[in-house]
Formats: sequence, structure tokens, C-alpha cells
Amino acid sequence: MTQYGFYFDNTRCTGCRTCEMACKDYKDLDADTAFRHVYDYEGGTWEERANGIYEQSCFTYHLSISCQHCTSPACTEVCPTTAMHKEADTGLVVVDVTKCIGCGYCHMACPYNAPKVDRAAGHSVKCNGCQERLEEGKRPICVESCPVRALDFGDIGELREKYDGVSAIAPMPPSSYTDPNIVIKACDDARTPEEGDGFVANVQEVI
Amino acid sequence: MLGLSTAVEELALVLFTTLAPSGAIAFIFMGVISLSRKPDDTQRTSISRALALPILFALIGLVASAAHLGNPENALYVFTNIGGSPLSNEVLYAVIFLGLASIYWLYAFAKHPIRLLQDILMVLAIIFGIVFVTSVAFAYDVDTIITWHTVYSPLNLWLNALVGGPMLAMLGLRIARFVAVERRFGMVLLLISAIALCVNLVVYGLQSAYLSDISNSLVVASDLVPLYIPSIILFGVLGCISIILNAWVMRRYNQEDTHASRRSVLVLSSLSCFFVLLGIFVMRFSFYMMHMTVGLSV
Repeated sequence: MTQYGFYFDNTRCTGCRTCEMACKDYKDLDADTAFRHVYDYEGGTWEERANGIYEQSCFTYHLSISCQHCTSPACTEVCPTTAMHKEADTGLVVVDVTKCIGCGYCHMACPYNAPKVDRAAGHSVKCNGCQERLEEGKRPICVESCPVRALDFGDIGELREKYDGVSAIAPMPPSSYTDPNIVIKACDDARTPEEGDGFVANVQEVI
Repeated sequence: MLGLSTAVEELALVLFTTLAPSGAIAFIFMGVISLSRKPDDTQRTSISRALALPILFALIGLVASAAHLGNPENALYVFTNIGGSPLSNEVLYAVIFLGLASIYWLYAFAKHPIRLLQDILMVLAIIFGIVFVTSVAFAYDVDTIITWHTVYSPLNLWLNALVGGPMLAMLGLRIARFVAVERRFGMVLLLISAIALCVNLVVYGLQSAYLSDISNSLVVASDLVPLYIPSIILFGVLGCISIILNAWVMRRYNQEDTHASRRSVLVLSSLSCFFVLLGIFVMRFSFYMMHMTVGLSV
């Protein structure tokens, strides 16, 4: 079985949101819904030294993530109908809308804010790894749209071999919770989820 | 206010978790009394028929919870993940409990019910009532939801039910004209509710202190429920009013040694239920307000 996943180059990302907008456009999402979010993570301070000179430790970096298509997804574990499930041949986490009751439990449990409930449609919606594009031999629209090629997608085993990286940086939760299928090339300022001494500077945008 | 939108969206679940556990506990208390030797056959039948009240409360709760579903026509699929999803388990136990409770209630209208069969049905309904309340208490116990994955969440739900259930049971017993509720039985029920209220307030206090220690990259949990302490105080006040109101009804009944008008007893008893359930509703609303995960969502 193939397990698909994403690669994210944290050293390249400029936080331009093209990935997020391309996804919203391609998936025809309304203004309040996004399957991919870009988090602006900032921190550090200015401190005065004894000689009166100020020293700063400020940093900022961007994190672009969507569904991690986790190996142990919180959403599928709590789903009462098994509508939220992992596809056997791709490992992608997708919604079977013929079973979903729209209870929103997947949305409540996911620590990556990936599934949302479309109240008008009455069921959950989320990133499906652009399954339909994969079948045509293409890559997900977010990956294709990135102007600095900070994203990649493919078999997670191959991605881990190809890129040297970690599976989580702040502000993501520790990967021990759901075992996300992502490889991240962390920038020098990147914090581990446990360090987390910065803050998300665009809270209103991402929730 | 960040937490407000979650709670407003889940209003149906606030209502469900307010009404159904208290209804189930009221059913259990009334059931235990009908199993005891105290009521004679006529009283027993009246109590059994008055079980319609707690059953109705539990049922309204369940219907309310179904109302928040986006696609109720797929509802039967909830039984496909029994044992896996806490929500499937909750629905299963709700259906079993309400099924047994309703059969018991219907059977009370038989001309010559078999006592043994009634008792067996009641014991089973009580067992599944306890299992049901416990399943609601743990329905949101998921390790990624850090504000709910604490010892406080299941404890509070159980204690809420033990605060509200006895009040509802007293109303049910009064509807059944079971006069012993104005004496020893009523005292016991009031005492249970009062003790549960005290313990519940302590647990809420501890939880409130703990909330400022919980945070993810987006928020600190205590910021999601800025009015938590006033809400706890309101819950305590409403619970006290409810208990005092019930105690006053009992006192008046016993002092006058006759029947303080039945209508006023039922009205005051209903008011007492309203106050206690309103208090529980406020706390359940706060529970949904404080939802946040270990990661990137509130």
C-alpha cells in the first residue's frame, strides 16, 4: 500500500498564501473555508545589554499545512459512522459523503484543523490530496501552485528518503498524537512543538 | 469571544448533555423507589407511569442531539463504529436505555403485569441508565482535545446529573402522588443533590484553576471561557435555589399536615427543576466554549 504525504520546505516558504488560494479556487470553497492554512509564527524579544546596546532574538517563519493524512488520524478514530476513513490504496484520509451525518466530531478532534463541516451540504469536507488530480497523474493543486517550490507530494517513504526533515515544527502539535505523514525541512529559527516559545500571529485568519 | 461560536454551534449538544443525564438519573431514583418495598401496588403503578417524565427529558435530549446533525438520514450508520467511536457507544447505550425504560413504562399500563418481569426490566434499565450516563461523560474524552481530556470532564457530567436528577425525580414522584417524597425519601433525594452540588462546585473550582495551565499555539484555555468563575457561581446559586425551593415545599406540606394545593406543589417543584437545569445548561455551555485541541484549532 502507498501512503501519500506532503513535503514542506520551511526554509523557502515566504508566506504568500498562493497554495491556500489555489486550493480555495480549485475546490470552490467559500470565504470562511480553507483546506490549507498558512500560519505566521513569530517570537523573540529585544533586550538591553549592560553597555546600553539592544540585542534582539526576534524571529518569524511560515508554516503551510493542510490535512496530514495521518497514520493514526484522530478524525477517523472518533467518527461514529466510519465515513471519515483512510483509503486502502493511497492512505489518504477522505470523507464518504454517503455515510457522513455531519456531527462535526472529526472537526473537534483533529489537532490540525483539517476537517470542517459544510452546514449547507450537511457533511464534513476536507483536503483529499486532490485524489482526482492524482488519478490523472498530476500533483495536488497547492503543490503545483507554489511559486518557490516549497511543497511536494508523493509516497511518504520516498519523500523521507529524498528530503532530510522532521515531522513537526511549532506551531504544530507533537507528531506523537496522530503520526502525521509530512516531511518538513526546518529553517534555522524553527522551533520544535515542545519548545513553542513563539506565537501564531494570524489567529483570526486561521481559525 | 473565541469559544462562543463553538458553544453556539453545538447548542443542541448543550441541551442533550443537560437534559438526558439528569433524566436518566431521575429515572434511576424513581426506579429504585419502585423496586423497594415502600410503595404499595397502586403507588407502584403510579410511579411507573410517572416515569414518563424522566423518559421524556432523556428523549428530548436525544432528539435535540440528532437535530444538530447535518445529514440525519445517514443516522443509522452510527452503529458501524461501535467499540471504536465514543459517539457510537453513546448512541447505542442511549437507545438501549431508552428502549428498556420505555418498555417498562408501557408495561405499567398492562392490566395484570408480572411483578418479576417488571423488576427484571427495571434492574436492566437502571444498569443501562448508569452505563448511558457514563458513556455521555466519556463521549468527548479524546486525547487531542486537551481541555476535555481531563478527569474533570466526566466527573462534572456525572455530578451535574446527580444534582439535577433528584430534583426531576421529586417532581416525578409528586406527579405520581407518592406522598413519602415529602418525608424521608424527599430528604434523601435533597441530600444527594446538595452533596453532589457541593462536590461539583469544588471540582469546577479545581478545573477553573487548571484551565490557565492549558494552552496550544493559538490560545490559553482560560481565555476561551472568560466568564467561567461567574458561571460557576451562577450554577451554585441556581442549584441552591432549587434545593431550598424543594425543601420549602416539603416543609409547607408537613406543617399544614394537609395538602398544600397540589397545583402549587407541582408548580414549585417544576420551577425547582427549571432552576437546576438552567444552572447545568450554563455549565454545559461553558464546556463547549472551552473546546480546543493540542494543535491548531479551538
